[in-house]
Amino acid sequence: MNPKRFSSSTRPSTTVKSRFACGFLRALWRINRQRRTSTSASSREICRRYLRVKVAADVSMASAVGSRRAWSRAILLRKLRNQGQNGTVRVRRMSNIPRMRKRNICGNKCTEEVAGTCQAEQLRKLVPGGEEMDMCNLLGETAHYIECLTTQVNVMRRIAEILST
Amino acid sequence: MEPNLGTIARSISIRPNREETGLESLQFREEFHRLMIVPPENGSSFTALLELPETQAMELLHSPHSDKGVMVPFSGDPLHGINDDNKSYLPSFNGNLTFPSNKVLIERAAKFSVFASGEHSPETSSVPSDSSANLEKVKSEPAETDSNPNSSQLLVSDPTVNIKNQRPEKRKEREKKGKGCTKKTKIEISQDAEKLPYVHVRARRGQATDSHSLAERARREKINARMKLLQELVPGCSKISSTALVLDEIINHVQSLQRQVELLSMRLASVNPRVDFNLDSLFAPESGSLADGNFPSMVSPLLWPEIPFNGNRQQHQQQWNFDALHRPLWGREEDNHTFITMENSLLSYDSANSASLHSNQLKMEL
Repeated sequence: MNPKRFSSSTRPSTTVKSRFACGFLRALWRINRQRRTSTSASSREICRRYLRVKVAADVSMASAVGSRRAWSRAILLRKLRNQGQNGTVRVRRMSNIPRMRKRNICGNKCTEEVAGTCQAEQLRKLVPGGEEMDMCNLLGETAHYIECLTTQVNVMRRIAEILST
Repeated sequence: MEPNLGTIARSISIRPNREETGLESLQFREEFHRLMIVPPENGSSFTALLELPETQAMELLHSPHSDKGVMVPFSGDPLHGINDDNKSYLPSFNGNLTFPSNKVLIERAAKFSVFASGEHSPETSSVPSDSSANLEKVKSEPAETDSNPNSSQLLVSDPTVNIKNQRPEKRKEREKKGKGCTKKTKIEISQDAEKLPYVHVRARRGQATDSHSLAERARREKINARMKLLQELVPGCSKISSTALVLDEIINHVQSLQRQVELLSMRLASVNPRVDFNLDSLFAPESGSLADGNFPSMVSPLLWPEIPFNGNRQQHQQQWNFDALHRPLWGREEDNHTFITMENSLLSYDSANSASLHSNQLKMEL
């Protein structure tokens, strides 16, 4: 591959992808650094690490996106809250927070009442921070979230390929 | 029929004098009699235009104000496209070509009387200038007539209003054709335009125009635009037309992406480094003593990002040391080809931002 010349004018982290990759690798390294033994094959260990990696992926994605988006803000807030509450338990569902679902804002409800649960409800559960959004913003956030998730998956897959070979 | 009517109307419109209205009306009545005796064969006949049973028409005619008699072409002009609309819905609510109800007729008659009584003087003054004015009005309101059937769709439930709506239209159309009009009709047009109770809003066909529905419509359009965006994002959604199915697809896609992230993070967590890596051990032996392979090759990509994030840009020296560190590793064929490419980029780096280096190398990879 051709060696590239990096002028100082090229900004380092201009894309969400690169920012996410940097942040995620950094977090991965930090997680791997905490491995006590090289052959820690215990499932519990792996499970714990897996959770940490997952959170790291979400958080690094959210920080790469910034605070512009409601879902990234929600993820970062969740992380801050978890860090404040408990140092060890990193992953915690926001079930203790009352969800103010604005039912009257759930527009097009008649078209979404399928399979018992409202589709907008399902979407709200899936998209972080979606509980308090009206339908219009929810759809916009979903679009951006899907984009970022795809980027995330691609980057992680590439990293996994690199690391596993 | 029409030519007769036209001639009558023209003759009347030409007449400037109000004093001769009595004579006119008489003439009118005679003509109308004649016309109305003939049964309507098609919509173009005057009686069909009138859509009155004879008795009712005669009532109108015999009312004290003569000019009333003319009006009312409820059905459309044959020459105007709106004709069909009118005929289509007029029969729909009355079933025949007769006037829908006496009550409506009387209402209108009352209206005319109001005009006629109050407007004698304006009538006289307006008569001479009216012909041109009306023609102008006609020209200025062809769009109105076009939009009227659209808005009239809304008013189907209110036949009175509809009919009032139609009447001035037809008046104008007939004028347009040059058939002229009676003084009364001219006045009627002007009066009716002022007295019409509804606001002329250019609503789209079949859509309401109050503020709530406008806001609702704007909101719906926003949501539809976002849905279209989402459809493009999610593969395979562009063919689906129903919103419920599209939402299902979107939900499935988001769920699958999240599951993929979880799988990959599990994979990353379970990846065993071949050798344990230790930053201290990496940095300490800067000499070539690391060629023994104890150094985890997989550490290299992990470690590189660390350099930029030291936050200290003066650590380029350290970075170069790092390069020197890894150089012996590259000779080994078991190194990942990708590592070599990344290293190449690192090597060529003479002076630059370390973060930019890293990101660029990642870009090459990714």
